[in-house]
Amino acid sequence: MRALLVLFWAFLVAKAQEVRSSIDEELLIPNETESAGSADETCIAEDSSFGLDSGNSTSNDKEDPVEEELLNEALQKPVFFEKQDAIKYPFAEQLTLKPLPRNYMVASFQFQMASNNLSVGQSETDFDAYRHYTVFPKAISPILEYTNTRQLHLRFTHGLWDSESWGQLPHKGSKSGGNGVELWAVIEADSKEIAFRHWVSLANSLSGLFCSSINFIDSERTTYPVSSFQPQGDGGLPVFNATNGLFLIRAALANEPICTENLTPFLKLLPTRGKSGISSLLDGHKVFDSNWHSMSLDVETTCDGNDCKYHMEELIEIVFNVPNTLARAEKPIPKPVKESDLKCDESKPHDNFECFPLPQSKEIKFRLSELFGKQIVGSSLISESPSQICADVSDNWKAYIDVDNMLFATDNNCFSVKENKLHDLYLESDDTTQVTPPESVPLYVSRSLTGYGQDSGGLRTVFKNPGNESVNAIYFEALPWYMRIYLSSLKIESADGLEIEDVVRGTYYLPAIDRERPTHLEYNLTIPANTTIALSYQFDKALLKYAEYPPDANHGFEIESAVVTVLEPVRYEMRTATLLLSLSTPDFSMPYNVIILTSTVMGLAFGTLFNLMVKRLVPLEEADRQASLRPGLKGKVARMLKAFSLKRKKVDEVKKRQ
Amino acid sequence: MSNLWLRRAVAFWFVAVFILAGLPAWYKLTTIYRAPLPSEYIRSIHQNMHSDVHIVIPVYVRSDTYRFPDVHDAIQVQVNELLRSRPSHVQWSLQVLEYDESVVDQDSDYVATLVLDDFAGFTLAYDSKETLVFFNNEAVMANDVPFFAAQTLVEHTFGAEWEEFSGSRPEKNTGSSEMAISYSPNVHLSISLLTGDGRPIGWDIDTTLDNYFTPLRRFLSPLVNFTVDTSIVQFNDLNVGSIHSGENTTWQDLAHTIDLSELSSMNYYKEKSVLNLAIVFPSLEAGELSFVNATSQRPWQTFMVPRWGSLVLNKAPLPDNVRLTEEYLAPVIYNFARELFQFLGLATQSADLTTPYATIDSFKRVTIIKNLEHGAETLWSLTKLTEQFPQMSVPKQVLSDVEKALDLRLQLIELLNNPEKGGDRTWNQALLLSNEFVRVCERAFFHKEMVQQNFFPQEHKIAVYLPLLGPLTVIILSGLLNALREKEGPHVANNSLTEKERLQDDDTTVDSSERSAE
Repeated sequence: MRALLVLFWAFLVAKAQEVRSSIDEELLIPNETESAGSADETCIAEDSSFGLDSGNSTSNDKEDPVEEELLNEALQKPVFFEKQDAIKYPFAEQLTLKPLPRNYMVASFQFQMASNNLSVGQSETDFDAYRHYTVFPKAISPILEYTNTRQLHLRFTHGLWDSESWGQLPHKGSKSGGNGVELWAVIEADSKEIAFRHWVSLANSLSGLFCSSINFIDSERTTYPVSSFQPQGDGGLPVFNATNGLFLIRAALANEPICTENLTPFLKLLPTRGKSGISSLLDGHKVFDSNWHSMSLDVETTCDGNDCKYHMEELIEIVFNVPNTLARAEKPIPKPVKESDLKCDESKPHDNFECFPLPQSKEIKFRLSELFGKQIVGSSLISESPSQICADVSDNWKAYIDVDNMLFATDNNCFSVKENKLHDLYLESDDTTQVTPPESVPLYVSRSLTGYGQDSGGLRTVFKNPGNESVNAIYFEALPWYMRIYLSSLKIESADGLEIEDVVRGTYYLPAIDRERPTHLEYNLTIPANTTIALSYQFDKALLKYAEYPPDANHGFEIESAVVTVLEPVRYEMRTATLLLSLSTPDFSMPYNVIILTSTVMGLAFGTLFNLMVKRLVPLEEADRQASLRPGLKGKVARMLKAFSLKRKKVDEVKKRQ
Repeated sequence: MSNLWLRRAVAFWFVAVFILAGLPAWYKLTTIYRAPLPSEYIRSIHQNMHSDVHIVIPVYVRSDTYRFPDVHDAIQVQVNELLRSRPSHVQWSLQVLEYDESVVDQDSDYVATLVLDDFAGFTLAYDSKETLVFFNNEAVMANDVPFFAAQTLVEHTFGAEWEEFSGSRPEKNTGSSEMAISYSPNVHLSISLLTGDGRPIGWDIDTTLDNYFTPLRRFLSPLVNFTVDTSIVQFNDLNVGSIHSGENTTWQDLAHTIDLSELSSMNYYKEKSVLNLAIVFPSLEAGELSFVNATSQRPWQTFMVPRWGSLVLNKAPLPDNVRLTEEYLAPVIYNFARELFQFLGLATQSADLTTPYATIDSFKRVTIIKNLEHGAETLWSLTKLTEQFPQMSVPKQVLSDVEKALDLRLQLIELLNNPEKGGDRTWNQALLLSNEFVRVCERAFFHKEMVQQNFFPQEHKIAVYLPLLGPLTVIILSGLLNALREKEGPHVANNSLTEKERLQDDDTTVDSSERSAE
């Protein structure tokens, strides 16, 4: 009987296997027909390619699918692949090279991408909620979603931008941060506390993603800017829940080292992963062996009705000294130049041992591959437009693109990278001093620490307006709580006799709370044309608790850059250099020393008192006698000594009488 | 000079205060808070993990053709007999009841229907929890129907329980546990289309998922909630392109070569468990993957990576600018759905999910018991940990979590043991409770103040206090000892002075008085 049962069971299973060809046929789910295909369009195509429907999509009668598309059979049989004209995704990349004075050159890698449509208001666990990613990185989107971040700006910058010689920062300074890491975001939340919680979560997630110490951002470093860092763009930011508000939050880690491990995640976010397109040039050794470099990431949420998507812009900008970089590429280990290669000033005495070198040659010829050590490996094939390389050069420069050892030129010096071929850029100039004139900087700002000693100091910021128009700017400063500033000590130094009221039009000041929040200062400044002024104020240095000192306490404390946003005559953003504040540092073995010393003193005091109470007090003679009465050798010796001294005394007496 | 006793008393009092007041105060002031965990109770739970569990599952018996007024009682007897025949480490039983239309909910209750047929047999419905037991007239004559029904119910309808609860200890199910992720109510699914190069491709994943995966998500929702994302990943073929050498590639070569690191870095998911489906196309340069056993009807082969997910390797690279159609994706997704049951631990082989409703229900019960075991193990580890590190602080939060967990466990067991409850809702609720139980237990165990081990060991405390306590102890104790050893000095001294010495003493006093007179 059981055998029969088993046989029947086997038959049933076999039957079930045979008829089964799709899940929904096997599992008869109630209301299935309602659910299938009625999902919200969470992934609407960015272009026509996604809009195509594969026709009889729900048919399950595919008995003999073919691998290649055959026109005749295609009408009857289903196909695996559909050939399309072009599948394009919202991704664009461009490399701009711009020679700067004194043989420097800035290379700006720009990547832009957009996400698929977001499902606003739909829970991720809904049965028909799917998230689709194509070019937008999968790593960023969930972080933004669960922290309710509407805008995210991250900057990794290091080096010195010589604005007096190189002019304005790229992109009018809006894409580069202060030395170190800078992060600001617009977060949608019910209250400030919740926004802060999201902010900490955002910082921690980004820290993991970019292998950086962004997780050190806490309330001590966080500010809520009032006039600076205001989101740009028209139409305002989307709010997904009408009862919520938007919070702009910002923090910076001054002078945080930036290294290859920060670049690699940047490249991983790109759909090309640094393997094709202009990102194939990027290599940590070259990027960080530069005079100034900046990596930035900006994500913005844009909505059109209920369709929202993220737009991301990634920028990597590098300033090289071209001859130095070429020389290093040629000789990684510097060696003295051979005698035959020495170019000596012949107007001055020169021989084998003496040589006054000539100034650097004004002529230069190089290829991009010599600078970066690599060639561009083809274009990004998925983007709507091919990868672009542009050389922003003056007339005495020549720029060619090298494809298969053939050089091509264009009128506007912009080149498209095609297909999978290796590309290289060839640049040549007979006078490197002639470059596209740098745009003049509307305001120069430098900030420094003044004073000496370990208990107080001062901050002095010099503003120089070189232009013929007065400049309206916002000066933003976030100072750690252990710099206790005295706003009353604010002074202005001006050769033109300007008063504070003439310059400072508005002040926002949020005093620090120890260990809780930093000092937040924002000035609205108006600096008249061709004027230099200096604002200064004093501060006290606080003493930190023992455990609050960093491991390398004697190095000092990095103070983040001040941010200057010029509003008029042009919009421009810049940062001052970071500062190094030295606080009084304790001797870290002190607590144990103190414990031991105090314990000793207490032990001594207690011992004395205790002995006074517990030990017997006797006169000296009594003590001596006691000692002499002790049995044993000691007592005998004492008795003998006593007897001896008595005898001598008697003899003396006798002598005296005689 | 009889103040010796007084001095002894003083020294004694010092020692007494030092020992009786000082030491306890020092100890009290320097000890860390250790919440009193109910370790005895936890120990007893851990030792007899299932002693208080007795799962009762109601089954309703219906007979369409013949009326058997007492068949449910007869089946009950047989079921009990059958269950007794095997030692079970988890107590469970079926409560066989008469079918009553007003009580029974066809969708959520177990129904056994007795059907007259030409031969005896049974079938389990795949769209409900009904068990059809076929019998013939000979069986009725031989009075075999109750045994038949009981056997079908116990060994087939409740086959999973029969294996898990009544079988020998379930260490044997290595096949599924190797593949399956540990149970978690929320699982993230990451579906990726990978190509070895950067050529543009597209896929109709949206409609495919809506058509083929949404029903599955809805179906599994009492058990697991999925969150799903899909992505197209360029320039990543998981390194399969490097396997060229043709025919004799084994799955071990593949296992050694594939590089899942990029897909496995899952720090951006909220869910604890992540399963992957990677559809991989080799790059044009790498060419065809000769080891992939593909046919013209199925140009891909799947490989299951334990606890990670499924790999779908395609033999040929994709041509430029193509879009994968639903006809390609549907079988892939369907195949993945079957494998999913294995990854979730629902099935041991991809084929045996022909009775999904019953299987999932059984899986719920097995999971509940496993959760109970898991939570009890966690609590036991917690008590062991706290006992092992007597200097570790045990915060109040841990105690309250432990108490909450034990409460939850009691609630859960009450729910499981109640024979009056047994519908879908009960099992779902019990599953939720058991998930919560596991979560609370883990929260208690992984409390930040405990696991970071940032507590002061005894040595530190002694090192800090020794400079003070050491000298004080030595002074006090030696003072007491001296006072005790000291004899009544003056009396003894007076008696023992010899006559000669006394004279000498007198002389000296005379001498000194004379000298002073001079």
